[in-house]
Amino acid sequence: MSETYDRGSVEDFGRWREFQSGMWAWIFHKFTGWVLVGYLFTHIAVLSTATASDPTVYTDTLHGLENLLVVRVLEVGLLAVAVFHILNGVRLLMVDLGLGLESQDKSFYASLVVTAAITVASVPTFLAGV
Amino acid sequence: MSTQIEQQEAEEEDEAETEIEPAEKPHQERRLSEKRARAEANERQRREREAVREAENDIRIKVFRYDPEVEGKEEPRFDDFRVPFHKGMTVLDALIYARDHYDSSLTFRHSCRQAVCGSDALFVNGQQRLGCKTQIADLETPVRIEPLPHQDVVKDLVVDMEHFYEQMHAVEPYFQPDDLPEGELEEQRQTPENREKVKMSTRCIWCGACMSSCNIAAGDNQYLGPAAINKAYRFAMDEREGENAKQERIETIEQEHGVWRCQTQFSCTEVCPKDIPLTEHIQELKREAVKSNLKFW
Amino acid sequence: MAEYYSSFERGGVRWLLQRVTAVFLIGVLAFHFFLLHFVNHAADITFAGTQARMSQVGYFATMWLFLVTATFHGVNGVYNALVNQGLDGTAKRAVGAVLTLASVALIAQGTRVALAMTDLL
Repeated sequence: MSETYDRGSVEDFGRWREFQSGMWAWIFHKFTGWVLVGYLFTHIAVLSTATASDPTVYTDTLHGLENLLVVRVLEVGLLAVAVFHILNGVRLLMVDLGLGLESQDKSFYASLVVTAAITVASVPTFLAGV
Repeated sequence: MSTQIEQQEAEEEDEAETEIEPAEKPHQERRLSEKRARAEANERQRREREAVREAENDIRIKVFRYDPEVEGKEEPRFDDFRVPFHKGMTVLDALIYARDHYDSSLTFRHSCRQAVCGSDALFVNGQQRLGCKTQIADLETPVRIEPLPHQDVVKDLVVDMEHFYEQMHAVEPYFQPDDLPEGELEEQRQTPENREKVKMSTRCIWCGACMSSCNIAAGDNQYLGPAAINKAYRFAMDEREGENAKQERIETIEQEHGVWRCQTQFSCTEVCPKDIPLTEHIQELKREAVKSNLKFW
Repeated sequence: MAEYYSSFERGGVRWLLQRVTAVFLIGVLAFHFFLLHFVNHAADITFAGTQARMSQVGYFATMWLFLVTATFHGVNGVYNALVNQGLDGTAKRAVGAVLTLASVALIAQGTRVALAMTDLL
């Protein structure tokens, strides 16, 4: 066993073209998960500073943030990430319950499509009045 | 897996034309001349077939080479071989041809060549497949042949299977009934429905393709892996083993690095050459584990 | 390898809770997004509006449960992702402890923020 060759790490992204749908689903779910956890901590931190003293600070902080275009765009991104995580999560729950295993790969593609649709449809609302 | 190439149908056999012999020619001579005509037609056919075969392509295979004991092969590289193609050729056939005609140091495992021994699991064009079961006609050339990923390579296409076997043995993959039947000649019966339930899980040939395709097995060294958990399933769901044995088996696979590591990536199910629905079996064991835990609260 | 296993290391509880919290979060997260981006526009949010919402006990309780379940689901997810990558031994226990502390801190701080948004304190 001493003379062996290490064939490389887990997700060898050089091979991304050969990834099956289940693997993409796993990668995206992990990625969106990390983003959402990061956001959770950030969200509580921002709200903490905003509720520190009097009510006007709260309103001003939020309005200040919402006036920045980059924040609005990030919010759309957050929506996309959250929607994908929810839809793929529902797919995973179905798998865990043993329902619809024959079409599990089709349901992954469906989640991608619906995520894109919802994100695009929400852009007008999110970017209103910027 | 039938080949998709349709070989041109051999030319219609020419009817041996029987000439209307004059009535005076002896019967035997007529027969012999018919035979000669047939032999000529056969010879013509064989030559035509060979011409067709030679007109078919040679295929290129690129094979991963590595040998720590040979200078020049200490760094892995890909060797190109040109192999004449024939209908029904498998990846294993191509490798054997390359070894026999070009480089006898090309090393790979193979045995039964009919998908029951599990020796020749390889990484072909980016997917785990059995060499003997994969038709060249189904693949894009040049065909890239590599050893199974996420396992240490010993030489060329041979990988170290020890870890895989350890995980398999960890689930005690043998029949352990709670009690034996009374009489000496008494059989342990199994209903057809129960047999049907475990049928797919009995097909495992220990080839290692599934474990090699699982990202969690690659990252987490202690993960039992789909093959081992499927083996546990095969026995846990066999009603001849009894409740106690089933409980013990469930306890083994519900450890931290057992069923819970599975993230339902489905790659194992995709690559299994025996079409075992591995993820489904793992999911069922997860549900069983949860149910049995809930009962004790 | 069978000797590694002991009956005290069951992973089943966290697996089940991850799913249970997931189901709850699907509903609550969608509701939260809807309320704060579609029913009310994020740009128009004022402290008065927030206070009015948070002072309703039912809404407050829902938000607090949201906080707790999201923290568990997220941190447990992160922990599992790391174990899948091969986190083991001492490092694993250390990371587990840090994540637990982080979760407790987050829930504590989140609760304080939530209470600051009501007029109950």
